[in-house]
Amino acid sequence: MLITEENAYINEVSHEGDFLRRTFRAMLRARILENKLSSLYKAGKIVGGVYLGKGQEAISATLGASLIQGKDCFAPLIRDQAGRTAFGEPLIDCTRTYLGSVKGPMRGRDGNIHRGRPEMGMPAMISHLGAQVPLIAGMLFAKRLKGTLDGCVGATTVGDGATSTGAFHEGLNMAAVEKLPMVVVVANNQFAYSTPNSRQFACADLVERAAGYGIGGFSVDGTDLIACASVVGEAVRRARAGGGPQMVVAHLLRLGGHGEHDDGSYVPDSAKHDHYGRDCIEVAIQQLVEGGYAIVEEITAWQDEASEEVQRAVAQAQQEPVPDPYREDWSALSTRFPLHAQ
Amino acid sequence: MSGVTYIDAIREAQETLLREDPRVFLYGQDISNFGGAFKATKGLAEAFPNRVFDCPISEDAMIGLAVGAAIEGMRPIIEMQFADFSSIAFNQIVNQAATHYYRTGMPIPITVRLPSGGTPGSGPFHSQSMEGIYAHYPGLVVVTPATVSDAYHMLVDSVKLDDPVIYCEHKFLYRWLKAKSIKGDGLPIGQARIARPGKHATVVTYSAMVHEAVRAADRLQADGWEIEVVDLRSVKPLDLDTILASVARTGRLLALGEAFPWGGVTAEIVAKVTEEGFHLLDAPPQRLNARDTPVPYHPKLWAAHRPTPESICDALRKLLSF
Amino acid sequence: MPTVPILMPQLGESIAEATVIRLGIAVGDTVRTDQEIIEVETNKAVMGVTTLCDGIVSEIKAVEGVSYSVGSLLGLLEVTEEEVTRTGVDTIESIDAKKLAEQEQKPAGEENLHFALDGDSYEENPSIIPSVKGLPVPTGVMGAHYISPRMRARMDDMGLREADISAIVGTGAGGRVTVADLERFLDYLEEWPSVAASPMRMAVADAMRRSWTRPLATVGLPLMLDRVLDHRREQSPKPGLTLYLLRAFALALTEQPMTAGYLIGEKVVHPRSFDIGVAVQVEDGVVVPTVRQVDRKSLSELIAEYDDLVDRARRRRLTENDSKGGIATVTNFGTFGLTTGTPIPLPNETLILGLGAGRKSPVWSDQVEAFIPVTEAQLLLTFDHRVVDGGGAGILLNRVAQLLQHPENL
Repeated sequence: MLITEENAYINEVSHEGDFLRRTFRAMLRARILENKLSSLYKAGKIVGGVYLGKGQEAISATLGASLIQGKDCFAPLIRDQAGRTAFGEPLIDCTRTYLGSVKGPMRGRDGNIHRGRPEMGMPAMISHLGAQVPLIAGMLFAKRLKGTLDGCVGATTVGDGATSTGAFHEGLNMAAVEKLPMVVVVANNQFAYSTPNSRQFACADLVERAAGYGIGGFSVDGTDLIACASVVGEAVRRARAGGGPQMVVAHLLRLGGHGEHDDGSYVPDSAKHDHYGRDCIEVAIQQLVEGGYAIVEEITAWQDEASEEVQRAVAQAQQEPVPDPYREDWSALSTRFPLHAQ
Repeated sequence: MSGVTYIDAIREAQETLLREDPRVFLYGQDISNFGGAFKATKGLAEAFPNRVFDCPISEDAMIGLAVGAAIEGMRPIIEMQFADFSSIAFNQIVNQAATHYYRTGMPIPITVRLPSGGTPGSGPFHSQSMEGIYAHYPGLVVVTPATVSDAYHMLVDSVKLDDPVIYCEHKFLYRWLKAKSIKGDGLPIGQARIARPGKHATVVTYSAMVHEAVRAADRLQADGWEIEVVDLRSVKPLDLDTILASVARTGRLLALGEAFPWGGVTAEIVAKVTEEGFHLLDAPPQRLNARDTPVPYHPKLWAAHRPTPESICDALRKLLSF
Repeated sequence: MPTVPILMPQLGESIAEATVIRLGIAVGDTVRTDQEIIEVETNKAVMGVTTLCDGIVSEIKAVEGVSYSVGSLLGLLEVTEEEVTRTGVDTIESIDAKKLAEQEQKPAGEENLHFALDGDSYEENPSIIPSVKGLPVPTGVMGAHYISPRMRARMDDMGLREADISAIVGTGAGGRVTVADLERFLDYLEEWPSVAASPMRMAVADAMRRSWTRPLATVGLPLMLDRVLDHRREQSPKPGLTLYLLRAFALALTEQPMTAGYLIGEKVVHPRSFDIGVAVQVEDGVVVPTVRQVDRKSLSELIAEYDDLVDRARRRRLTENDSKGGIATVTNFGTFGLTTGTPIPLPNETLILGLGAGRKSPVWSDQVEAFIPVTEAQLLLTFDHRVVDGGGAGILLNRVAQLLQHPENL
């Protein structure tokens, strides 16, 4: 069944305050961390690029918070700081990778959002879009062969741009054929770098594609935390229960450029003033306060706490050693050749 | 039929691996009950239920899935129906699998079987030799067995390696090449062997061209030339020690390959020998490859496109007369 | 009025540049269509650059003797509008307009570049492949003269030079000497008596080997020695016979200094000072002390300096400076009773003047219409054919012979 915005509030769950509070705190920590990354970039402290998830925190964090670290697997993409944080990635992984600390998971060998901890079920993305879809399928497939798949779910996110790739199609189709418990969240932020939806796909809503793959499809307002929590929660539940792959299309707007090198000046004002142009954090605060899930003072305290935590993570990563080309192990293989005959 | 063919060896290696290692599974197109386009997996689906899977025609996703499974501790063997189609999976192989260990510290033990090389009538899209392309990328092991025993042992060893392996099996050898039995071969991956000893010139080659080189060497024997043939076995890592030792004996080098002539394995061999063994050379090192066109369909064109014993003899005579 | 550029044309398929050797125009000159206005030289030929239209030369940018790449601006013409229309030539204005149009097609704002690619940029610097100049040299390496890297490595190992293996008949491809041939030859030599070569021998060998890398040619003429011998008899102290040659050689060279030029790359280096060496035979070798500024001192002034150098040379008491800086050498091998030879210049010089032994010969005299006895010796000059040709060498040698007929002026 297709679940659209109109009937998104399925099950009328009394969204556990705990979940919303946890999810919101991940959103907040991600936003504050990313604001810091932006200023570090502008101060010349970060080389390469900085890619932010501003405007996508609600959908990303609800996905991350719906997964169970150590059991589920999650392949985040470019704008998933909130999802990573909600899934359990420590902030220091982020600052270390952006600032090139050798103590980070990528040890200066890769940077920014190209990081992960595959051993904890969170693979490191590559830049080639759609590529993580079959990868997550493979992780789930392996769990099935090992007999550990029961009750597990695997998730990945893509943007509207990635839905045009062969890898996305191949991966989703394969996951459907293999009936894997996979959730693919499509964050339709209306722009792939500078390319608008009108030059990316021709269907009315990307969720229409779910029917083609024979998988569950959901469409949700990505700026609405409670809606996201409800829809993503349901998609994850269905996948976990053996319902096969689920696709969630979240409608929102990227509140910035493609990266911090890009001012996003091509985003028209009409999109910014549109419903989806609103800031999901502000919406979430209102929802939390109005729903009685949190009080303003509490949220302010969370903000202060997150700011301090971010400051600590930045300071620590900045003080740590950077890679030394003379001591680098320049080996792309774990095997050390020559091997000797046994 | 007595004896073991090259493809029997590949099938048996997979059988051994499935039997001995629960982490191994096979994933590919038409490989389950059908037994594969070349019957390299014949009977394995029956013998090993839920270990051998047919998959959609999605080469990209096949490798993506394999990488994901490897992260979860499995040792998948992916059969590309033809090496040529691995171009669809190129991104996942060179960007996902090959970079993974260097980036994250976690190696990806997948083995990608590439039915490679030309056979008469196969044409441009079922005849390619991709070893040079994959060898170019850091993070991949590329093996090119030329014998029945190597086909068996190197596939077993490939799956045992913790790193991604591109296993290039030559389609022409599948049923053409036979041995009495699979011999226990002590040579590990990364070590070349001397397929035929000689003292006047060295041919460094791999895969099916080993046999063409040996045939050419046999012909030149009649003229009193003793040609040494080095079978690389794996093109990456490249066993430069064995190559240089051979060139030290002969002073002359012909690098021979079936792939396209621009760059590639033969160019790398010549570059390496020139860098490290210039003082060993009595003549400029030579290369012999296929022609710089797509692989043609018609058997007559195909036979003239790839190196043959005749063209290898010509190249060697030119090298010897320098 | 429109301005039309004069550009270095493409003068052949493989030509990347050409040297302007003559400018046939001056600013203000009126030129006609297809008029040859600039003469340029490529490594293949001398050619003329022509104009594409009638006009008046308004500016000349080209300089004679300078090489310009194809497409370089050599000068400008002022051309009437009618002429531009008639000939359809590109004017500076139309070229600029084209460039401007190209620029306008580029995206204006580059500030949103990925990874700040606008920060560091590298401008390609298209280099001109230098034209091959000089005499054609065979480049084929196959055959008996080829030394393979393997053979070279073995020779380096043993401290051998190409000259050392000249005795070996090669059995390799094209008659090449192989490492096996070399080893056999060295084994064979083991059976022969041998001694270690002296440092002097090695030094001469090295100098001769280096010198022999050049195309050396020798020319000669018979020299009447009687006047020099007569003059010498009257002097006290007596100048050495070689000193006459030294002085005459120096004077002749001041008139033809380029003959002693030294070719380095594309440059001919001319003598700075007419310092000339004299070959002195010593035990197991030859040394060449240099007599300074031979052109500026008279014969009699040179005697003491010359005698001292030769004496110290024989006693092996020369300092390093005594043998430095010569531009040419004189050798009097006549003292060994030899009448002719092919002297070899030092590797850092391009000329050597040699004198054979004098002999009484009958020479026909037109004046007395009879053979008269004359003391005649061969005067020989070896030169680097890259720098000097037979004609130039002949002029120099004749001049030396001429000067020696008036020893009193030396």
